[in-house]
Amino acid sequence: MDHFILLVWHAFLVAVFFAFLWRSDARGRKILFAKTFVIMAVGAFLLGWLMYPFP
Amino acid sequence: MTAEKAQRAAARGKTESEENARPVAKGLLFLAWLIPGLGHWLLGKRVRAGVFAAVVLAAFVTGVLLDGELAVPQQNSPLSWFFAFGCLGNGMLYLFRLLWVNGLDGLISATFPYGLQGGGDPVAAGFFYGKTFLYTAGLMNLLVVLDVHDIASGDKS
Repeated sequence: MDHFILLVWHAFLVAVFFAFLWRSDARGRKILFAKTFVIMAVGAFLLGWLMYPFP
Repeated sequence: MTAEKAQRAAARGKTESEENARPVAKGLLFLAWLIPGLGHWLLGKRVRAGVFAAVVLAAFVTGVLLDGELAVPQQNSPLSWFFAFGCLGNGMLYLFRLLWVNGLDGLISATFPYGLQGGGDPVAAGFFYGKTFLYTAGLMNLLVVLDVHDIASGDKS
Protein backbone atom coordinates (compact mmCIF):
# COMPACT_ATOMS: atom_id res chain seq x y z
CA MET A 1 0.00 0.00 0.00
CA ASP A 2 1.41 3.34 -1.09
CA HIS A 3 1.50 5.61 1.95
CA PHE A 4 1.47 8.76 -0.19
CA ILE A 5 -1.76 7.69 -1.89
CA LEU A 6 -3.30 7.19 1.55
CA LEU A 7 -2.11 10.64 2.58
CA VAL A 8 -3.65 12.21 -0.54
CA TRP A 9 -6.90 10.26 -0.07
CA HIS A 10 -7.15 11.38 3.57
CA ALA A 11 -6.43 15.00 2.62
CA PHE A 12 -9.05 14.82 -0.14
CA LEU A 13 -11.78 13.49 2.17
CA VAL A 14 -11.05 16.02 4.93
CA ALA A 15 -10.84 18.91 2.43
CA VAL A 16 -14.18 18.00 0.84
CA PHE A 17 -15.75 17.64 4.27
CA PHE A 18 -14.69 21.04 5.59
CA ALA A 19 -15.46 22.77 2.29
CA PHE A 20 -19.09 21.66 2.59
CA LEU A 21 -19.25 22.18 6.36
CA TRP A 22 -17.92 25.72 6.47
CA ARG A 23 -18.93 27.22 3.10
CA SER A 24 -22.32 27.35 1.43
CA ASP A 25 -21.49 28.82 -1.99
CA ALA A 26 -19.75 26.94 -4.79
CA ARG A 27 -16.88 29.40 -5.15
CA GLY A 28 -16.17 29.48 -1.42
CA ARG A 29 -16.20 25.69 -1.30
CA LYS A 30 -13.73 25.38 -4.17
CA ILE A 31 -11.34 27.85 -2.57
CA LEU A 32 -11.49 26.24 0.87
CA PHE A 33 -11.13 22.78 -0.65
CA ALA A 34 -8.03 23.85 -2.57
CA LYS A 35 -6.47 25.54 0.45
CA THR A 36 -7.14 22.65 2.83
CA PHE A 37 -6.03 20.01 0.34
CA VAL A 38 -2.80 21.79 -0.57
CA ILE A 39 -1.92 22.52 3.06
CA MET A 40 -2.51 18.89 4.08
CA ALA A 41 -1.06 17.04 1.08
CA VAL A 42 1.77 19.30 -0.03
CA GLY A 43 2.51 20.39 3.56
CA ALA A 44 2.92 16.79 4.73
CA PHE A 45 5.12 16.04 1.70
CA LEU A 46 7.38 19.03 2.43
CA LEU A 47 7.47 18.25 6.14
CA GLY A 48 8.52 14.70 5.29
CA TRP A 49 11.47 15.98 3.24
CA LEU A 50 12.41 18.50 5.95
CA MET A 51 12.59 15.65 8.47
CA TYR A 52 14.59 13.47 6.08
CA PRO A 53 18.08 14.46 7.40
CA PHE A 54 17.08 13.75 10.99
CA PRO A 55 17.62 10.28 12.40
CA MET B 1 -35.62 47.17 16.24
CA THR B 2 -32.50 45.05 16.44
CA ALA B 3 -31.21 47.15 19.32
CA GLU B 4 -34.50 46.61 21.15
CA LYS B 5 -34.23 42.87 20.66
CA ALA B 6 -30.67 42.92 21.93
CA GLN B 7 -31.74 44.92 24.98
CA ARG B 8 -34.58 42.52 25.73
CA ALA B 9 -32.24 39.58 25.40
CA ALA B 10 -29.67 41.24 27.65
CA ALA B 11 -32.36 41.91 30.24
CA ARG B 12 -33.03 38.16 30.35
CA GLY B 13 -29.32 37.42 30.64
CA LYS B 14 -29.07 35.98 27.12
CA THR B 15 -27.34 36.97 23.90
CA GLU B 16 -29.46 37.91 20.88
CA SER B 17 -28.69 34.64 19.09
CA GLU B 18 -29.66 32.66 22.19
CA GLU B 19 -32.92 34.61 22.34
CA ASN B 20 -33.72 33.79 18.70
CA ALA B 21 -32.63 30.14 18.90
CA ARG B 22 -35.31 27.56 18.12
CA PRO B 23 -35.52 24.41 20.22
CA VAL B 24 -33.87 21.42 18.52
CA ALA B 25 -35.45 17.99 18.64
CA LYS B 26 -33.11 15.52 20.30
CA GLY B 27 -34.41 12.80 17.99
CA LEU B 28 -33.06 14.74 15.02
CA LEU B 29 -29.60 14.91 16.58
CA PHE B 30 -29.77 11.20 17.41
CA LEU B 31 -30.65 10.34 13.81
CA ALA B 32 -27.90 12.66 12.55
CA TRP B 33 -25.42 10.75 14.70
CA LEU B 34 -26.81 7.29 13.93
CA ILE B 35 -26.83 7.59 10.14
CA PRO B 36 -24.27 10.05 8.73
CA GLY B 37 -26.01 12.64 6.56
CA LEU B 38 -29.56 11.84 7.67
CA GLY B 39 -29.83 14.97 9.82
CA HIS B 40 -29.06 17.26 6.89
CA TRP B 41 -31.37 15.22 4.65
CA LEU B 42 -34.27 15.70 7.06
CA LEU B 43 -33.55 19.43 7.19
CA GLY B 44 -33.74 19.61 3.39
CA LYS B 45 -29.99 20.03 2.83
CA ARG B 46 -29.79 17.18 0.34
CA VAL B 47 -26.45 17.98 -1.29
CA ARG B 48 -24.65 18.40 2.02
CA ALA B 49 -26.33 15.23 3.30
CA GLY B 50 -25.01 13.23 0.34
CA VAL B 51 -21.50 14.62 0.62
CA PHE B 52 -21.24 14.08 4.37
CA ALA B 53 -22.62 10.55 4.12
CA ALA B 54 -20.21 9.70 1.29
CA VAL B 55 -17.16 11.20 3.03
CA VAL B 56 -17.79 9.58 6.41
CA LEU B 57 -18.60 6.22 4.81
CA ALA B 58 -15.53 6.37 2.54
CA ALA B 59 -13.24 7.20 5.47
CA PHE B 60 -14.76 4.43 7.61
CA VAL B 61 -14.55 1.77 4.89
CA THR B 62 -10.96 2.77 4.09
CA GLY B 63 -10.09 2.41 7.78
CA VAL B 64 -11.63 -1.05 7.97
CA LEU B 65 -9.96 -2.18 4.72
CA LEU B 66 -6.60 -1.04 6.08
CA ASP B 67 -7.10 -3.29 9.13
CA GLY B 68 -7.53 -0.35 11.46
CA GLU B 69 -8.84 -0.87 14.97
CA LEU B 70 -11.86 0.88 16.41
CA ALA B 71 -11.30 2.34 19.85
CA VAL B 72 -13.20 0.64 22.67
CA PRO B 73 -13.27 1.45 26.40
CA GLN B 74 -10.59 -0.38 28.39
CA GLN B 75 -10.38 -0.98 32.10
CA ASN B 76 -7.83 1.13 34.01
CA SER B 77 -7.38 3.37 30.95
CA PRO B 78 -9.50 6.50 31.30
CA LEU B 79 -8.00 7.92 28.10
CA SER B 80 -9.46 5.04 26.11
CA TRP B 81 -12.92 6.53 26.75
CA PHE B 82 -11.95 9.65 24.80
CA PHE B 83 -10.79 7.58 21.84
CA ALA B 84 -13.90 5.40 22.09
CA PHE B 85 -16.08 8.53 22.14
CA GLY B 86 -14.37 9.77 18.98
CA CYS B 87 -14.95 6.46 17.22
CA LEU B 88 -18.49 6.24 18.56
CA GLY B 89 -19.13 9.33 16.45
CA ASN B 90 -19.43 6.95 13.49
CA GLY B 91 -22.88 6.02 14.78
CA MET B 92 -24.40 2.96 13.18
CA LEU B 93 -21.14 2.15 11.38
CA TYR B 94 -19.36 1.82 14.74
CA LEU B 95 -22.10 -0.34 16.22
CA PHE B 96 -22.24 -2.63 13.15
CA ARG B 97 -18.46 -3.02 13.10
CA LEU B 98 -18.38 -3.94 16.80
CA LEU B 99 -21.19 -6.43 16.19
CA TRP B 100 -19.26 -7.84 13.23
CA VAL B 101 -16.06 -8.27 15.25
CA ASN B 102 -17.46 -9.37 18.61
CA GLY B 103 -20.68 -11.09 17.63
CA LEU B 104 -23.86 -10.63 19.62
CA ASP B 105 -22.55 -12.74 22.52
CA GLY B 106 -19.44 -10.59 22.76
CA LEU B 107 -21.46 -7.39 22.85
CA ILE B 108 -23.88 -8.60 25.51
CA SER B 109 -21.29 -9.86 27.92
CA ALA B 110 -21.19 -9.39 31.67
CA THR B 111 -18.14 -7.15 31.43
CA PHE B 112 -19.73 -4.68 28.97
CA PRO B 113 -18.46 -2.14 27.97
CA TYR B 114 -15.07 -3.64 28.79
CA GLY B 115 -13.63 -6.65 27.00
CA LEU B 116 -14.80 -5.60 23.54
CA GLN B 117 -12.53 -6.07 20.54
CA GLY B 118 -12.08 -3.21 18.09
CA GLY B 119 -11.06 -5.43 15.18
CA GLY B 120 -8.10 -4.75 12.94
CA ASP B 121 -4.70 -6.37 12.73
CA PRO B 122 -1.87 -4.73 14.75
CA VAL B 123 0.82 -6.23 12.50
CA ALA B 124 -0.82 -5.07 9.26
CA ALA B 125 1.04 -2.36 7.35
CA GLY B 126 -2.01 -0.13 7.34
CA PHE B 127 -2.99 -0.60 10.99
CA PHE B 128 -2.21 2.92 12.19
CA TYR B 129 -3.38 4.51 8.95
CA GLY B 130 -6.61 2.59 9.31
CA LYS B 131 -7.06 3.85 12.87
CA THR B 132 -6.52 7.39 11.64
CA PHE B 133 -9.24 7.00 9.02
CA LEU B 134 -11.65 5.46 11.54
CA TYR B 135 -11.06 8.21 14.12
CA THR B 136 -11.32 10.89 11.44
CA ALA B 137 -14.64 9.50 10.22
CA GLY B 138 -16.04 9.50 13.76
CA LEU B 139 -14.92 13.04 14.53
CA MET B 140 -16.24 14.31 11.21
CA ASN B 141 -19.66 12.83 11.94
CA LEU B 142 -19.68 14.48 15.37
CA LEU B 143 -19.06 17.81 13.63
CA VAL B 144 -21.92 16.98 11.27
CA VAL B 145 -24.21 16.52 14.29
CA LEU B 146 -23.16 19.93 15.63
CA ASP B 147 -23.86 21.41 12.19
CA VAL B 148 -27.34 19.87 12.20
CA HIS B 149 -27.93 21.47 15.61
CA ASP B 150 -26.85 24.88 14.32
CA ILE B 151 -29.07 24.64 11.24
CA ALA B 152 -32.08 23.39 13.20
CA SER B 153 -31.71 26.11 15.85
CA GLY B 154 -31.49 28.83 13.21
CA ASP B 155 -27.86 29.80 13.87
CA LYS B 156 -26.85 28.70 10.37
CA SER B 157 -28.65 28.40 7.04
